[in-house]
Amino acid sequence: MSPASANPDAGRPPSGAGGGRRHSALARYVAKRLVIAVGLLFGMTLVTFCLTNLVPGDPVAAALGQRAADDPEIVARFRTEYGLDRSLPAQYLAYLGRLIRFDLGTSWQTHHAVAADLAKAVPATMEIAFGAIVGAALIGITFGAWSAYRRGLATDQVLRLVSLIGISLPTFWTAIVCFYVFYYRLGWAPGSGRLTPGVAAPPNVTGMYTVDALLAGEWRTFVDASAHLALPTLVLTLYTIGLLTRFSRTSILEVLDQDYVRAAKAKGLPGRVVFFRYVLRGAAVPVLTVVGLAFGSLLSGTVLVESVFGWPGLGSYAYQAASKLDLLAVMGVGLVVGLVYLCVNLAVDLAYGFIDPRVRVGR
Amino acid sequence: MISTRTSGLRAAAAAGAAALLLSACGGGGEPGGTTSGGAGGQTAKSGATQIVVDTTFDIKTIDPGREYEPTGQILVKALYDTLLTFADDDTTTVVADLASYQSNDDQTEFTFTMAPGRVFSDGSPVTVDDAVFSLKRLQGLKGNPSFLLDGVSVEKVDDQTLKLTTADPSPALPAVLATPSCGIVNSKLVQENGGSTDESDAAEEFLNQTSAGSGPYVLDKLDTASEAVLVKNPNYNGPQTPVYDTVIVRNTEPATQKMNVERGDSQVALGLSGDMVESLADGVEVESVPSATVVFLLINSDPAVSELTSKPEFVKAVKAAIDYDSLIEIAGRGAAQANGLVPSVFLGALEDSEALKYDAAAAQAAAQAAGATGQKLTLSFPNDIDPTGLNLTTLAERIQSQLSAVGIEVDLAPAPFATEIDAYRDGKEQIGLWYWNPDYMDPANYLAFGPGQTVGLRAGWKQGANAAIEELVSRGYTTGDLAERKTVFEEWGKAMNADGPFVPLVQPGSNVVYQPSVTGVYYNPVWLINVAGLGQS
Repeated sequence: MSPASANPDAGRPPSGAGGGRRHSALARYVAKRLVIAVGLLFGMTLVTFCLTNLVPGDPVAAALGQRAADDPEIVARFRTEYGLDRSLPAQYLAYLGRLIRFDLGTSWQTHHAVAADLAKAVPATMEIAFGAIVGAALIGITFGAWSAYRRGLATDQVLRLVSLIGISLPTFWTAIVCFYVFYYRLGWAPGSGRLTPGVAAPPNVTGMYTVDALLAGEWRTFVDASAHLALPTLVLTLYTIGLLTRFSRTSILEVLDQDYVRAAKAKGLPGRVVFFRYVLRGAAVPVLTVVGLAFGSLLSGTVLVESVFGWPGLGSYAYQAASKLDLLAVMGVGLVVGLVYLCVNLAVDLAYGFIDPRVRVGR
Repeated sequence: MISTRTSGLRAAAAAGAAALLLSACGGGGEPGGTTSGGAGGQTAKSGATQIVVDTTFDIKTIDPGREYEPTGQILVKALYDTLLTFADDDTTTVVADLASYQSNDDQTEFTFTMAPGRVFSDGSPVTVDDAVFSLKRLQGLKGNPSFLLDGVSVEKVDDQTLKLTTADPSPALPAVLATPSCGIVNSKLVQENGGSTDESDAAEEFLNQTSAGSGPYVLDKLDTASEAVLVKNPNYNGPQTPVYDTVIVRNTEPATQKMNVERGDSQVALGLSGDMVESLADGVEVESVPSATVVFLLINSDPAVSELTSKPEFVKAVKAAIDYDSLIEIAGRGAAQANGLVPSVFLGALEDSEALKYDAAAAQAAAQAAGATGQKLTLSFPNDIDPTGLNLTTLAERIQSQLSAVGIEVDLAPAPFATEIDAYRDGKEQIGLWYWNPDYMDPANYLAFGPGQTVGLRAGWKQGANAAIEELVSRGYTTGDLAERKTVFEEWGKAMNADGPFVPLVQPGSNVVYQPSVTGVYYNPVWLINVAGLGQS
């Protein structure tokens, strides 16, 4: 028996030291990502500000009535009130100054603080987006894995076709069809809005009616809010399922061709073990990225679905703000969406670090 | 692997079943389970009645001194009484509300006597001081509707009387005072919450949460993105008889409005276009009338903008080149040709026989006389806004082909409203396709199209360009006698059709769709619908 075989741990660093190095690498990785996120956030405010101010058209003309816009006194007052009489750099600096105090300015369309408007719109959209991304991730990844596992067989063909249809159908069209069928024809779903007319909103805690109703113990409101939530969530889930199914399938197929998977099979490991321990874990990183991006796009790209279902969310708010040159509101939306993407990307990046050790040690 | 596949399917099936179960529990057919008798107003289990009105929101505020958007007008009309008003579907005769009035012969002094006993929603009396404060506040805020009382001085005479004075005769003033922006607020309450009669006023936030009027309803909730809830004013003692305990006005997209009202989940839908009402299911009623919105072509008279469009022959060619009947087809149900710039609902509107006529041969001859030899002009219009449901892009395409048929070539230049409005206001469009909604219910609104006036200048039509029309504009602003006023506006309308650089095209239809058991549905050019006047048969 060799000395090495006499002591299986010979040559390995003490476990405590190894754990410390691993934690240190992870901490450096997290810190690096956070610094990058802060830099991106600053860059985002600059880009949003520049893009918003590049739009042709005078916000005064869009904000004021036809008669008021002909009155120089009213126009001058409006420009002063919203700081539009200052140079662009001065406006940007003032914006940053307010931003530090979490003040996004006042919308000249709603006459409310942009932050207050967003505090109402974001939870409304979040409520749909959370349900849609969870449902889509569960079903889409399952379908993708199933399709990859059954590559070339009838199941695979059917799932690929279904996912293609899911991606190809415009969400607004799906929304209208679903609303028409489930609400108008069948009467299974309630009408538009977040609650039935006459049902009072629950006390505001999170802004998500289902959650707030549960917290307040208002069961009838919870059921009503859930019923209104079902159809828009279903529409967004259908679209995202298609996306995730196709991407999961592709990622898994790529991993199936890797040497380490073939080696695992060659070693005689059961197919189920190979699939779950080796293939799925290997495919998880790119799938996770797409899930994150899909969640971001659900938050920012639901305007047409919100329009069909009368849902007062972020998409509707963004559309109204953009179409009326409500610059501070547009910048507020841009900032929130950017922030969501940053947070999701950060979470995904951090998850990479846990899933794939090569990422956290920079290899 | 088989078990994995099965569990995935189970998860999907469970999610779908849960969603449908929740939907079914939610009611669908009878929303929320909180109400019954969906059609014709809903009766809550407590016995209270509510009515749901769907519209597409255009609202910034419901502070009467600041609001000036269609949805704001609907709500403020229900929350605040005005000194004068219009009854039901009458758009020509002002009647007393919070006050009666008399004017001097030359229409420069208007004396108002407050109606006795009227109270605000908190029970306090409506006084002359409240009226003076409200009107002075409207002027002093320098907001969108402040122009309504430009040049008007407001003073208290005694505890029952106030007097409004203008330097020039102002026969339109009574109609102006009937607009919701001139609503009378509870001055004490408003001042306690930051209100004043100048730009230091800080009561808007308060007034967006709490109404301070004497109207038939009070504000329960306002969310400018989704809905407004009004409840009956328990202290209301005015001439109206509100029926519904609760009025819910919801922000809904037109296609969804159609389904909601057909299923009885809403009782009134205000946003359906002429095309949409053509395909309505049985079981709902439609009030279709030509709206007071006038869609028109602007042809720039400024040679610096376009030498060709500035020629009178060119304007004549365009007026004769348009097949007006075909435009009405595009506009759909309820639409009518705009016989002149003053729409058919107002005093002084032109008869059908005075409307512009399609004459291809005359158009071709005039185009040749103007020197139109195929040179390209630009037809600009906003493409993200549909005035009263009319799609301007479709209309512009039809106009383009009709002009081309007589030798006038135009390129279409659609742009978002927010960007195109600059060029329109600055008078830089060669040809523009725009619309005009009335600010108040009087034909004097439309004198803005005269030479040197607000819209006239946008067409490069400066003061001194047409002395005869300018004389009629002046008489239109100052003539008080109704019969004479009617004649003046008719003469003005004919002169504008003959020589003005504007082509009145169409009045899109106003289509209010409602459940058969709802009564009192009348279109109004300013506040669209009086929700306090809605009843139940």
